[in-house]
Amino acid sequence: MAHALKEKPYAEELPVAAAAATILGGRYLPPPEDKDGKRWVRTSALIQADPHDLYAMWRNVEAAPAWQEQIAQVVVTGERTSHWVMETEGKAIEWDSEILADEPGKRIAWRSIGGDSDNAGEVIFEDSPGGRGTIVTVLQEFRMGKLASTWETFVNRNPKQAVIENLRHFKALAETGEIPRTENQPHGDRGVIGKMKASTYGEKIATPPGSN
Amino acid sequence: MKAVCWMGKSNVETLTVADPQLLNPHDAIIKITRTAICGSDLHLYDGFIPTMESGDILGHEFMGIIEEVGKEVTNLRRGDRVVIPFTIACGNCLFCKKKIWAACDNSNPNAHLMEAAYGYSGSGLFGYSHMMGGYAGGQAQYARVPFANVGPLKIESDLHDEKVLFLSDIFPTGYMAAENAQIQPGDTVAVWGCGPVGQFAIASAFMLGAARVIAIDRLPERLEMARSLGAITVDYSEEDVSVLSALKDLTAGTGPDACMDAVGLEAHSAQLQGTYDKIKVALLMETDRPSVLRQAIQAVRKGGTLSIPGVYGGLLDKVPFGAAFGKGITMKMGQTNMHTYMKPLLERIEKGQIDPSYIISHRIMLEQAPEMYKVWRDKKENVTKIVIDPWSDVAA
Repeated sequence: MAHALKEKPYAEELPVAAAAATILGGRYLPPPEDKDGKRWVRTSALIQADPHDLYAMWRNVEAAPAWQEQIAQVVVTGERTSHWVMETEGKAIEWDSEILADEPGKRIAWRSIGGDSDNAGEVIFEDSPGGRGTIVTVLQEFRMGKLASTWETFVNRNPKQAVIENLRHFKALAETGEIPRTENQPHGDRGVIGKMKASTYGEKIATPPGSN
Repeated sequence: MKAVCWMGKSNVETLTVADPQLLNPHDAIIKITRTAICGSDLHLYDGFIPTMESGDILGHEFMGIIEEVGKEVTNLRRGDRVVIPFTIACGNCLFCKKKIWAACDNSNPNAHLMEAAYGYSGSGLFGYSHMMGGYAGGQAQYARVPFANVGPLKIESDLHDEKVLFLSDIFPTGYMAAENAQIQPGDTVAVWGCGPVGQFAIASAFMLGAARVIAIDRLPERLEMARSLGAITVDYSEEDVSVLSALKDLTAGTGPDACMDAVGLEAHSAQLQGTYDKIKVALLMETDRPSVLRQAIQAVRKGGTLSIPGVYGGLLDKVPFGAAFGKGITMKMGQTNMHTYMKPLLERIEKGQIDPSYIISHRIMLEQAPEMYKVWRDKKENVTKIVIDPWSDVAA
């Protein structure tokens, strides 16, 4: 059947396999299911930028606080290792992270190696079909259980949503040089319900600054 | 500063709030010289748009003088006179590059709320709910304008504010509606709703080559304005008038080539369906009252086009999709891609082809806004358009 259609002037090459990929062997690949204490989130964005520049921006882990929510500080501790501090309302959790795969312009994979968070992830950078920008796909895994639920409570944001929001911030920063925000705008009295709702809208979580 | 705040359904107050600050490198702060109340502000006033919260500053039609710019804004300087588009666009995402500005990927900080409701998020809007970004609006003395390097239209001539203010929303919105109607020279076009957007849709339909425009409303002052533009008017509230028959009679039984729904989700209907929709909305079984949409689908000719500048928000009941399919019609709709239209329409104003200020009926100060929202909703005092001078302290 592969040769059934001979003329396809705009057709793409099928992508190679990667853990975060959405296509495998020409078939749509759904994200992994949550089970055995692991929770997964896969999210992607179409970004108008060069994949090498986006790779470099992601690989510069010490700049992560500029676009990742609640990340207070990242310090590079070795060629492939870094120390991460996540902070909210004065409480902090910390962990070390190690890069497992590093392919410039294409892919970065990492995992935590001790500390308060147990996570692993991969980001891939691919040209979009038709040359409409770079597709950035993130696959992140959390070991849930007590720790993860503690984290969830800590950050006041479901960790899956946090991954989605962080990629959104990354895209905005890459495309525009800033992250859209509304905190500290003027407004009238919110009342009790308005204050509660600000939290459900995610407006209580500080938007990352967009620069260090 | 003083600002008009939404404090709950049917409850608007003029309050003293903090002045806006620059928050991002592409922001500007403008001192507002004129702002207006839009028909779509009534959807907020009437509580139809979810995620409005107490204290939100209203207003998305405004213009003024640049007070301060962020460090990345190089095209504007303090003292520049600008009109602000109500949709906020970054200028760099795929959608902005395709000039679908109202679908900007990067201007809504609360995109996840709109994704939950609509699948994907459109651009952020000023003063139009937290789902649409939660940006403070422009019925105030100052406003913060994000992506000021992309949106604001500089006014270099000495045209009066009132002549250019409506470039902020309703003139481009009416114009895009007419463009979406895919008008061919000689077409007959029907427009439901002769409020400000309907007026500009009628004027724009003629500009784009319509031979005949049929305008439908119930308010005498609006119908009069529509006739002054050259439209034939149909008053749907007259007992012996059936809109569908009128449109057949006025198009030799063929139906209008294009229909425009400039009413949207709070349509009134004298028919039984009007009551039906009010009950279903009250019982939370429906969010919008689509009687104009139903009628327009029924009225448009075979293969014709339905353009929808009127705002819809949620779930609609008993929309005759079979009729839409059966006649093979085209439907086009959506928030206005403002940035495409502002400059060419300014040129039309500068050339004297149109003076948009003709729709203004009331000029007020900020303190009068709460009472005027009510007048606007109830269509009292022959109101057609309310413009606010936020620095005036003299009641009109």
